[in-house]
Amino acid sequence: MFMKLFKSFLCFIFIGTLYSETTLIKNATIYDGIKNIPFQGNILIENDTIKKVSSAKMQADFVIDASGMIVTPGIIGTDTNIGIVEIGALSVTRDDSSEIYSIGFSIHDAFNPKSTLIPWNRSNGVTSALSLPQGTASPIGGLGSFFVLDGEHDITSKKDIVMIGGVGGSGSSSRAETFAVMDDLLSFASGLNGADLDDISETIEKSSIAEFMELHPRDVKALSRLVNNNLPLIISTHRASDILKLIELKEKYDLNLIIKGAQDASLVAPQIAASGIPLIINPINNIPGSFDELASNIQMASRLEEKGINLMFNTPRSHNFHLVRQGAGVAVANGMSYEGAIKAITSTPAKVFNIDQRGEIKAGYFADIVVWDADPLEPSSMPEYLFINGKSIDLTSRSSRLRDRYTSQSDKPNTYRN
Amino acid sequence: MTNSKKYLVLFTLFFLCFNLTLTAKPFESTYKPLPSINVLIKNANIYDGEGNELLQTDLLIKDRKIEAIGKDLPVTNDFEVIDASGKWVTPGIIDIHSHMGVYPAPGVRTSSDGNEATSPVTADVWAEHSMWVQDPQYTLALSGGVTAFHVLPGSANLIGGRGVTVKNLQRNTINSMKFPDAPHSLKMACGENPKRVYGSRQQAPSTRMGNIAGYRKAWIEAETYLNRLNEYESKSDEAKEMGYKPTRDLELDTLAGVLRGEILVHNHCYRADEMASMIDVAKEFGYKITAFHHGVEAYKIADLLADNNICGALWADWWGFKHEAYDMVQANIAIVDQARGGKGCAIVHSDDAIGIQHLNQEASKALSAGIRAGYDISKARAMNWITSNPAKAAGIYDQTGSLKVGKNADVVIWSKNPFSVYALAETVFIDGALAYDRKSNFYPSSDFDVGIINANKNRLEE
Repeated sequence: MFMKLFKSFLCFIFIGTLYSETTLIKNATIYDGIKNIPFQGNILIENDTIKKVSSAKMQADFVIDASGMIVTPGIIGTDTNIGIVEIGALSVTRDDSSEIYSIGFSIHDAFNPKSTLIPWNRSNGVTSALSLPQGTASPIGGLGSFFVLDGEHDITSKKDIVMIGGVGGSGSSSRAETFAVMDDLLSFASGLNGADLDDISETIEKSSIAEFMELHPRDVKALSRLVNNNLPLIISTHRASDILKLIELKEKYDLNLIIKGAQDASLVAPQIAASGIPLIINPINNIPGSFDELASNIQMASRLEEKGINLMFNTPRSHNFHLVRQGAGVAVANGMSYEGAIKAITSTPAKVFNIDQRGEIKAGYFADIVVWDADPLEPSSMPEYLFINGKSIDLTSRSSRLRDRYTSQSDKPNTYRN
Repeated sequence: MTNSKKYLVLFTLFFLCFNLTLTAKPFESTYKPLPSINVLIKNANIYDGEGNELLQTDLLIKDRKIEAIGKDLPVTNDFEVIDASGKWVTPGIIDIHSHMGVYPAPGVRTSSDGNEATSPVTADVWAEHSMWVQDPQYTLALSGGVTAFHVLPGSANLIGGRGVTVKNLQRNTINSMKFPDAPHSLKMACGENPKRVYGSRQQAPSTRMGNIAGYRKAWIEAETYLNRLNEYESKSDEAKEMGYKPTRDLELDTLAGVLRGEILVHNHCYRADEMASMIDVAKEFGYKITAFHHGVEAYKIADLLADNNICGALWADWWGFKHEAYDMVQANIAIVDQARGGKGCAIVHSDDAIGIQHLNQEASKALSAGIRAGYDISKARAMNWITSNPAKAAGIYDQTGSLKVGKNADVVIWSKNPFSVYALAETVFIDGALAYDRKSNFYPSSDFDVGIINANKNRLEE
C-alpha cells in the first residue's frame, strides 16, 4: 500500500516534470556508453539536454533518487521496422517495400508515430531506432531512417541515413552474379559527377547496368550518395568467403560498410578487425540456419569482441526489438564484457550511423535515459523511468492496458472496463 | 522335403509373419539410455519442479533414478560426488512445442518436413516419420538443459497429424530416441493458418467457420469408425470369423485414438473466442484438449481453461507477426497459472530452436511480468512451467518432469540461479547418464556437424 501511494506520488511529480526546467537523477550507477566501468553519479537534465554528469551535489526542480539503480543511455534499435510494419502477416499494415524503386527507396515518409510497437518497445527501454526497408530487387538498395520514439506526430528523425543490401545463397542465381551486379553498380556510381546527376535520365540511358536494373533518378541519386558521400551501407551476409569479398569491395570503392548477420564472422575475425568493419549480429542466434551460417556459435560475440571488432546487436524477433537486451545478456553469459554489451545497444550504433549527440550519457547530449529497476541485461528487468529528449515518458502500452483490463477484479464485462 | 510339405512350412511361416505384422505395434520406442553413473550432487540449491525450493540440499542419482533428496546425505565410495555449492539444480527442461527434426537446420526445402499441407485433415501422418535424426539443433537444446521435447507437425492443417515425445539423446533412428511409453499427441490448428493455406487454393476452409465445420466433419467420421470398431470388438469370436473386420483407416485410427483417450490433443490456437469454440467441439465429441498452444489471448479466458483442465502452452512475449497474435500481454503465462486461485496449468513453450535453449529465461520474463501484474508467484512455482507441467501435457510426468524419488534422473546443474540470463546449464543428466558437461567440453555432435567447415574438425570446435 505504501509503495502504491509512493508510486502515485512519483507519477504526480512526473506529470509535473513536463513543465519543469530541470530534473536530477541522483546516486545512480551509471553506464554512460563511453567508459569501460560504471560510476556512481548524478545526471542533471535541462529541457531536452543532459546538462551535467557529475558526482557533485546538484539542485533541480525534480529529483529522482536512483540509489541502487542502474542508469543507461536509451537503447537504440539498430535493425528494426518500427513505425513501418504494424502486423507482420498483414500487407495492408506494411510499408517496408516498393515495387517501383529499388536503390533509392526510402521508408521515411511512411513512418507511423502512433504504431503500437512504439510504446511497447519504449516501455522496455528502446528510445530510438533505425527502421529499415525489406531488401529490394537490387542487391544494394533501400534506405533506412532514424526515428526518435517519442510517439509525437511532429516526428524527430534523420532521413535516409543508411542503405541496405544483401548477398548469399539465394536459391535463384549465383552469389557471383550478385557480387558482379554490386561491382557494376558501384563502378557506375563512382564515375558519376555533378553534371551527370543534373541530367539524370541521359546518365541512366548511357549506363547498361542502370538501364538493365531499370533505375529511376532517385535510385541513381541514392547510389551516388553511397559512393561519393560516405553513406553507411549495411550488407546482410553470413558466409566467411562472402564477408571477405565485401571487404574487397569496401576497399575498392572506399565504402562505409557495416555487415549484418555475419554468422561466420569468427572464421575471418582478423580480416574483419583489420578492415574496421562494424558488425550487426544477433548474439543469441547459434543456429546453423543455412549453409551460409555453419559457424554459428553462442560464443561469437565474445570472440569478435576479443579481436577488437565493433559490435552492434539486433533481434529478428518481430515486434520485440527490446530483446537485444536478452541477446546482450546471453553474450555476457558467454564471455563478452558487460560494458561492451551495453555499448553494442547504445553508443556504438549512434557512432556508426552518425546519430549525433545520442547513445551516451554525456553533457550536451540529448537526454535519452533509462533508469532500470534492476540489471538491464536481465530480460526480467524493466525501466522504472525513461526519458526521451529530456521528457519523462509514461510507460503505459497497449499491452499493459490489456493486462490491467483482465487482471482488475471488475464485475463488469471486459468491454465496459478501462 | 516334398513339395506339399514345403508349401505347408512356407504357408505357416507366412501366416505367422502376417499375423505378427497384424498384432505388433509399429514404431515402438527402442530407446536405450547411455551407461549411467551413480552420482551424489552435494549442497545444491534445488527447484524440484513440484513448486519447492530446497536450499543446500543433496541429490542422489542411482541406477538411472533419483534415489534420494535431502540434507547431508552420506558420502560413500559408490558414488561420484559433485560439489554443487552455490549452484542450482532443476529437473531436465521439457519443451512441449518443438519442430526440431521436422524443420531442422539448415532450413532447406529438402528437409522441411513439418507440414503435410496437401489436405486440411491429415491425421494419418506422424511427425516422427519426418524427423531428421541428424539435426544439429538437438545438441544446442541440450546445452540449454533440455532433456525431452515434444515434436509436432506444423499448423497448416486443421488436423495436422501425430506428434511425438523424444529424449534429447541423438541416435541414428527415431525409434531409438522415442520416449518409452509416452503417448502420441494429435496436432490441431485454429485460425489464420489453415484458412490461409486452403483458402488461397479456393478450397475449404477459407474462413474460421469453415475451420470449425472441418473439425466437426472429421470427428463425425471418427465417431462412426470407432462405433464400427467397437461393434466388431464386442462380437463373439464366432461372429467375428463370420463377419468382416472393418478396414483400417490410418486417419481415423488416429482420431479414434483421441476419442478413446489414448492420444492427447495439442491445439494451436491464438484467439480466446476460438479456444472457447474448440472446447465446445471437444465436448460435442467427448474428447479432451490437453493444451492450447501459443494462446496469445489465453489470459482472456484463463478461468475457462482452468475449469476444463486445459494447459496453456505459451510464449513469454511473442506478438504482432499476425493479427491473431496482436493482443499480447506479458503476464499471459502468470494469469493462466493463477486462474481459479492457482489451479491453472501454465507452460512456457518455445516453437523455436533458439528459444528452446533459453526456456529458463523465457520463464523468468513471464514470472517477472506476473509479479508486476500483482501476483505472488515464487520462482520454484515458475520452474514448473518448464518442467512438470510440460511433462504432464506430454503424458510423461510419471517418469520425469520433477525431482521425485523414483523418477528418471533427468537433472540439470546450473552455474547460477536459472532465472538469471547469466545462468548456464553446466551439466545435464538424462536417465542418470552424463549427456552434457560444459567444463569438460563433453557434448554430442550430429553427423551433420562432422567436418562440415574444416574437414578435420567438428562444426563447433574452434
